Amino acid sequence: MRMNDEPVAAMPAATTPATPQDAAAAAAVPFVPSKVSIDRTVRLPSMTFCLARHVPSGRVFCGGADFGLHSFDPAAEKPETRPLSEVRHSSYVTGVVNAAGTLISGGYDRSLIWWNAETGEQLRKVEGAHDRWIRSLAVSPDGLRLATVADDMRTKIWDTQSGACLLTLDGYDLQTPHGFPSMLYAVCFSADGRRLATGNKTGKVLIRDVATGEIQQTIETPVMYTWDPKARRHSIGGIRSLAFSGDGSLLAVGGMGQVGNIDHLEGKSRIEVFRLPTGERVHEIEDSKYKGLVEKLQFSGDQKWLLAAGGDNGGFLSAWSLETGKLLAQEKLGNHLHAFEMLSDRTLVTVGHDQASHVTLSAG
Amino acid sequence: MSGKRLIPVQCGLSDVAGVSRRGFLGGTAVGVGGALAADMRAVNGLRAEEIAGELRRGEKHVILLWLAGGASQLETWDPKPGVKTGGPFAAIPTNVAGIQVSELLPKLAQRMHLTAVIRSLNTKIADHGRGADLVERGRLDDPGLRYPDLGAVVAKELGRLESTVPDYVSLYTSTEGRRKGTSGFLGARYAPLFLAENMAPPNTGLHERLTAAEHQDRAALRDLLSKRFTAEHRGSTVGSLNSAYQRVQGMMASAGLFNIEQEPAEVRARYGPTQFGEQCLIARRLVEAGVPFVKVARAWWDSHGQNFETHLELCADLDHCMSVLLDDLQERGLLEKTLVITLGEFGRTPGINASLGRDHFASAWSCSLSGLGIRGGVVHGATDAEGHTVVDGEASAGDLFATILQAVGIDHTHEYMVGSRPTPLADFGSKPIRSVLV
Repeated sequence: MRMNDEPVAAMPAATTPATPQDAAAAAAVPFVPSKVSIDRTVRLPSMTFCLARHVPSGRVFCGGADFGLHSFDPAAEKPETRPLSEVRHSSYVTGVVNAAGTLISGGYDRSLIWWNAETGEQLRKVEGAHDRWIRSLAVSPDGLRLATVADDMRTKIWDTQSGACLLTLDGYDLQTPHGFPSMLYAVCFSADGRRLATGNKTGKVLIRDVATGEIQQTIETPVMYTWDPKARRHSIGGIRSLAFSGDGSLLAVGGMGQVGNIDHLEGKSRIEVFRLPTGERVHEIEDSKYKGLVEKLQFSGDQKWLLAAGGDNGGFLSAWSLETGKLLAQEKLGNHLHAFEMLSDRTLVTVGHDQASHVTLSAG
Repeated sequence: MSGKRLIPVQCGLSDVAGVSRRGFLGGTAVGVGGALAADMRAVNGLRAEEIAGELRRGEKHVILLWLAGGASQLETWDPKPGVKTGGPFAAIPTNVAGIQVSELLPKLAQRMHLTAVIRSLNTKIADHGRGADLVERGRLDDPGLRYPDLGAVVAKELGRLESTVPDYVSLYTSTEGRRKGTSGFLGARYAPLFLAENMAPPNTGLHERLTAAEHQDRAALRDLLSKRFTAEHRGSTVGSLNSAYQRVQGMMASAGLFNIEQEPAEVRARYGPTQFGEQCLIARRLVEAGVPFVKVARAWWDSHGQNFETHLELCADLDHCMSVLLDDLQERGLLEKTLVITLGEFGRTPGINASLGRDHFASAWSCSLSGLGIRGGVVHGATDAEGHTVVDGEASAGDLFATILQAVGIDHTHEYMVGSRPTPLADFGSKPIRSVLV
């Protein structure tokens, strides 16, 4: 079932050089984006929360509020969406990954489904994979391990080939300090596949050894927890995105800063970057122009900059310098963005509330 | 005159027999003067022959769980799973065959036999202030006439003159959307004891330099002087003053009702750690002590962003606390005497915005009624497949107001005479929803 020829989506430090001279030039002048351009958009059938790239078919698969998976060709001039299957989840699809050629989706129905991306055939279904909503899926770089997080506040590691659950990991409280249900939103693997980071509603990050599940490090980002103790007495924030740098020396944590009115996603979008293993916070980025949740993070291959997507009602895509913490490039991008996948070193596809966009990053 | 109650519009306490109110009170009742004045004004308005009629049926209560900001009907009482507007939550069966509610209310689903759901409210006004005005009063004010809210009407109709506890208590400790409530033309006598900053009324303790024995001695002296005064100055106003003093003393004596530390630890644990749980426990204690109307506001449901996350939190709070409240009332034999309502100023849009929020919506939304006077296990009305419109059993704010009054045994057609203007308790043309009433 594994397709070894599929590269893991990543952002190289520079464009692919055509000649040795170009390569030398590229090495001398690393790519730093200064502009974000929307090339084209495609209307999606429903609110869309996740996507996965499938190289053999050239299509991306996305899941969302109509409980199903859909695909489209992002390279097409006028992309058209088509459903993967008539079979669907029974609630929102919140995660889809490409595990070495096989799609695996999960959602609020607490189930995981393995799919043949070409035929739409359902290969396996694990009902009750978690006791509460599955919030996010991540696949190891080799495609052999799947990690899932859910509101049962558990992290599970699965064998993508057999569907077996290898580890069930606790470590989070079921309730917030204020007595309300907590949520476990975010999960990501390190590039070497050995570590796994998870983040919850109250701003707690756990970094674990994938093989044993042992907690290696705990990082707290309490600002991400937007509990309003007086005016409205609830919260809407939490850690929504995580990313390791390629060499594993940095961890980026995304969410939203403190918010005055939690009726809306009015807090500044917030990123904290930590050096590992010291846990030193090297950047604390808050964007006052584009507000809301940071839903997706990805380091550049050279670890010079960080790409972030999210939003309130509107969506944003921003590139931040990891040397200065300053903004490099930014663009408003339709409605709230939930995810993106790199298509090449400088192109990507984003999905948001009801549309996908093909986006190009360029240097000034 | 049958069915009519006289309400002097301006019935403030004037000087009586040459003795002013302030002079009569002297230096006492410091800190409770407002409540005292409120008591006196309306009591003064009662004609002597009405007093017997005002000795109420008693022992009937209303607890209004005010879901401030507007809870989503789709995430509570009117789930629409699987349609575009339905959101991610499933519908779950209840312990009443054929009735489903959102999966966010699993505990209340097992108490559906106690509850009637109205799924067909169309109150039309989708802004917080006017929407709350409408729902709380059953109608909007007329020029020059401010209507009392539900709590004030219930306080007047079910409160007992001799009661030593407040008639209308309103807890609203969050700041967003905070509303004190209004007694409108009924006057300050029926205004709520409003608790905003703390969960207990302020200034109800004895002065630090006064012992309980000294307090009793002062009360006895006041009583003696009062009787002497009454003998020389006859009039209903004097009687009302005595009544007001009794109520103030009652208020001081009942301050402990707000202290949940007096409850066994297991009872407090049962209600849970949230503020809403603590306030539901206070509501039960107040009802048990004879308070006719208690409003517990749970803010803030105004989920323009992240509606589902918000309802995961707040519905868990509502589901647990209301379930414990219903059980506790039932176990104490109080549920058959107490109507428990969940209601807000409106519901939320079927459409889901880009922030995964739902916005204000008053065209097709829901509320629940449990306990006293209610036929449990009933759903009244229906909305269309996606929840945009009412397709059956449309009910207005006036209809709901009339229904609540009827449930607790108050004839909604009775009229107050406001000056010379007959004013029905519920809006003209309002009709109780009979299908939810026993």
